[in-house]
Amino acid sequence: MKILLVDDEPTYFEALIATLESNGIECITARDMTEGVKALQKHDVSAVVTDIMMPPGPSFSQVDANECGFHFIEHVQQNWPRLPIVCLSVIADQAKIRFLARRRVRYLRKGETPLSTAVEVITAVAEGRSVRPRR
Amino acid sequence: MDSQHSERTSEQELERLRTENAGLKQELEETRRSSTRYLQNVAHQLTAPLNAIKWNIEAIKDEKVPIPRKKNLLSSIYSQGTILVHLIKNFSLMSNLEADHELGQFRDQPERVSPLRLAINLAGDFEPQAAETSKKIEIRMLSFDRIFGDRDLLVVKNLVAQALSNLLENAIKYSTVGTTIDVEAVTAPVRETGKTYYGISVRNTGLPILPSEVKRLSDRGFRGNAAKQKIPAGTGIGLYIANRVMELHEGLIQVKPSGNETRMTLFFPASRIVDPIHKEEE
Repeated sequence: MKILLVDDEPTYFEALIATLESNGIECITARDMTEGVKALQKHDVSAVVTDIMMPPGPSFSQVDANECGFHFIEHVQQNWPRLPIVCLSVIADQAKIRFLARRRVRYLRKGETPLSTAVEVITAVAEGRSVRPRR
Repeated sequence: MDSQHSERTSEQELERLRTENAGLKQELEETRRSSTRYLQNVAHQLTAPLNAIKWNIEAIKDEKVPIPRKKNLLSSIYSQGTILVHLIKNFSLMSNLEADHELGQFRDQPERVSPLRLAINLAGDFEPQAAETSKKIEIRMLSFDRIFGDRDLLVVKNLVAQALSNLLENAIKYSTVGTTIDVEAVTAPVRETGKTYYGISVRNTGLPILPSEVKRLSDRGFRGNAAKQKIPAGTGIGLYIANRVMELHEGLIQVKPSGNETRMTLFFPASRIVDPIHKEEE
């Protein structure tokens, strides 16, 4: 099983990748929306994990970096409608969190979600299972 | 007639005050909103490295993660720690610098600092961060020899170290992967003051800075458009602090963009350059 991780701060993903890979999940990474879309065109992945604040990259330069993840999610859902998405970010605005819920995107709050929970949720989403985060 | 006129004047005055009041209220609201945004940004900047450290520790505790990966995670913890210390120093310096600037004097006594030694030490501190994106920091030794010889800077060491760190950090952050960041000693007459200054400059190739943005780069919280699009998270206080530090030393900071290349220089006046102490004087 292979998943795509999109974030411009790769240091965040080192621990996540190390843990996912030790559980037998192959990870590919992208640093911006352009790289993320290119990776999806090239690789067959089971799930996408994305941040919200990230650079759009050259192919989407008109997109605002602060909202880039939302554009990426919309783009992925238009072009790969069956691909499950996990959003790993810090979002203060409740309306935006509701937007993710409406789009069936699982939201994990960066910093407050333990690594083990993130790994559990991402693995379940990629396998097409439903999972409730541990309290 | 007179009373009618005075009534009209009072009404006009009242209306003027109402408009002024509404304007001030709006301004206050905008300031409140922008300081909330700023605080949220600062909180994010501080928690991001801490959260990365937390996850790294969790992964290190996981028995299934192989030892070589754990070593990488430890290096990453070290890097995140460096970033955090640097950020916290900037924030704590910020309030002190405001007070020092108003008083026009230093909190600590200026001391002799070798510009070359300072550049080497700081480059060493930032080397791991640069290496993460295959960048190198190169000190142009000969330029230091040519410009400063064995002379020192008479400055508040921790302030100037922080100013130079901020320049290095920006250069690493905004340069192209795989490029080299040059640190060199320079001297130049500065048009604004007509005097010759001596400085340490940091040059990098990467994100272009628009000439129209140069003047605003030292404003607190300001970040260039290209910078915000490439790296959305940032405090915009690095150059503000560097500028304040240089003003306290009667110097200045110069930003010279040229296409994809940016040179930022900390310029000191000749009065801050001191001859070495001879052995017998020590």
